[in-house]
Amino acid sequence: MSKKTTNLDRRQFFKTSAFALGSLAIVGAGAGYLKSNKKNEIPTTNFLRPPGAIDEDIFIAECIKCGLCVQICPIQAIKLADIDSGLDYGTPYIEVREQACDFSCDSLQCVETCPTAVLNFLQFKRVGEEAIEKYDKEMQGKQMSKDYNPFKVQIIAMKEHVEMGMAKLNQDTCLAYQSKGYEGKVREVGFKGVNRSPYTNERKATPVVDKEYKEDICDICIKECPIGEKAIIMEEIQDAHGKKVKRPKVLDGCTGCGVCVMVCPTEKPSIIVEPVKA
Amino acid sequence: MFDIFKNSKKFPPLPPKPKEELPHARLGISYKEWHNGHVDKHKWRNKRWAVLILINGLFVLSFALDLSLLEGSLSGSRLLGFYLMDPYNALQTLSISLVQGHFLNLTMNFWIGLVTIILFYSLVGGRTFCSWLCPYHFVSENLEKLHNYLVKKRKIKEHTYNQSLRYVFWAGFLILAIVTQQLVFEDFNLVGITSRALIYGPGLILVWIIIIMIFEIVYSKRFWCRYVCPVGATYGMIGSISPVTIKFDLDKCGYCADCQDVCLVPHELWFVKRGKATQEIHYTGNDCTKCGLCVDICAGEALTYAIKGLEKLS
Repeated sequence: MSKKTTNLDRRQFFKTSAFALGSLAIVGAGAGYLKSNKKNEIPTTNFLRPPGAIDEDIFIAECIKCGLCVQICPIQAIKLADIDSGLDYGTPYIEVREQACDFSCDSLQCVETCPTAVLNFLQFKRVGEEAIEKYDKEMQGKQMSKDYNPFKVQIIAMKEHVEMGMAKLNQDTCLAYQSKGYEGKVREVGFKGVNRSPYTNERKATPVVDKEYKEDICDICIKECPIGEKAIIMEEIQDAHGKKVKRPKVLDGCTGCGVCVMVCPTEKPSIIVEPVKA
Repeated sequence: MFDIFKNSKKFPPLPPKPKEELPHARLGISYKEWHNGHVDKHKWRNKRWAVLILINGLFVLSFALDLSLLEGSLSGSRLLGFYLMDPYNALQTLSISLVQGHFLNLTMNFWIGLVTIILFYSLVGGRTFCSWLCPYHFVSENLEKLHNYLVKKRKIKEHTYNQSLRYVFWAGFLILAIVTQQLVFEDFNLVGITSRALIYGPGLILVWIIIIMIFEIVYSKRFWCRYVCPVGATYGMIGSISPVTIKFDLDKCGYCADCQDVCLVPHELWFVKRGKATQEIHYTGNDCTKCGLCVDICAGEALTYAIKGLEKLS
């Protein structure tokens, strides 16, 4: 190879490199601009990060978009974002109106499976272990009964530690606020979402549309809440006329799993989940 | 062991073989007879495509049928419970997490996956990943045929660049990840995008793949794999110490250079042309994807799969 051609090669390499670096700089500037504009907030309510998600800034930086959390979820609540969904491409999210997280897996498997710990399992591990310790202390001295089941205590503690969001009631459309009842299926035919109802004590998640309800005053969200009375209750209050009425109330224990949103029978859900920053 | 660090290209070339020493002359037949006597059976290509389709099929089936065989995507996966990590992705995550202070939170599975991949590909040859696993490579490889046809018909012109451009992109995207504190490259990563589109269903992001595909057909063949893909570059770096390579035996070569025509990285086969080889035996370098196309087409069987250092033992 003559010296001349080597020089030409080198010149071409520098030229294309400069072009490449230029385009990279544009990409970088673009990404930086989008980042500063977006402020890394999940744009819409009812779009949540999976349980255990760390701060959104670090979340989108560290999530490698492998999809393992999507794979492991037994009810396929988690989806990967596309570029048009307003979230960072390829990151996992839960759309609670379509399919809420009903804790069917019992052990927060999506969190456990995450290799980069953007769904951080350590906190849940600690909470679970503490719960078992406490439970064992309580059980000490007592006769070892057949009911001894630390696993159950552990999963309840882990479940209650989840902080995906906070439910919020829309008092204008909520049936219970109008003292109305509800009869029939809660969702339209063809709705694919499933739920493991604590109310009917199911072992596995079943389609939401399979269930028929008959309530004098609508309290479906309360009945289906996987957390139970720590998250949402029917509160007895006095209305303007001094009459005693029952109204649903969201408590601090709400994990934002979104089951209430999924089962809300009004056309536009009267209860929504607002994502919280961990 | 130290041949890796020796650049055999810098040695003075051996004199070209005289006519009577060429393989066809030794067999006593004409060059044409010898050359046409070999039919390309696509043995290795078929094996390779079978592996590629099998692995990607396993990903797809694992999700579709909930099989837990090979879960995740090519960015990060779990094979029967063992984690595997894409090395470039892991490198970016590591550098970001060092800045963010999230470093200690990375799970043991992350490290296991990263080390497993590095060990495996340093044994079987880094860019083996490209031709034996990468779904985009499969697309690109077949688009190349269309591109070559158009070039032959003189509809379009061929454009080539320096292969080292890949390392510019490699460093560039890494710096970009650290500066913006985001996995910017993952939005452009054709390996990950194709893999995810296959497994979790396609989305609007496919537009990006189509743009690159059209560019590769009408402008520069296999542009992404050759000059951009930092994932392939990372695998290439890992594979530079790999013992599995393609071995070239000058003695059996008939100087037809068919192999360079089919090769996906022709610069790796620089030694096959008359008067270029500097040694009797040459091994391909770390850019070689070990695709086996040259092994299939070689009329004299001068190119074979080999494990470096094994013949010294026996």
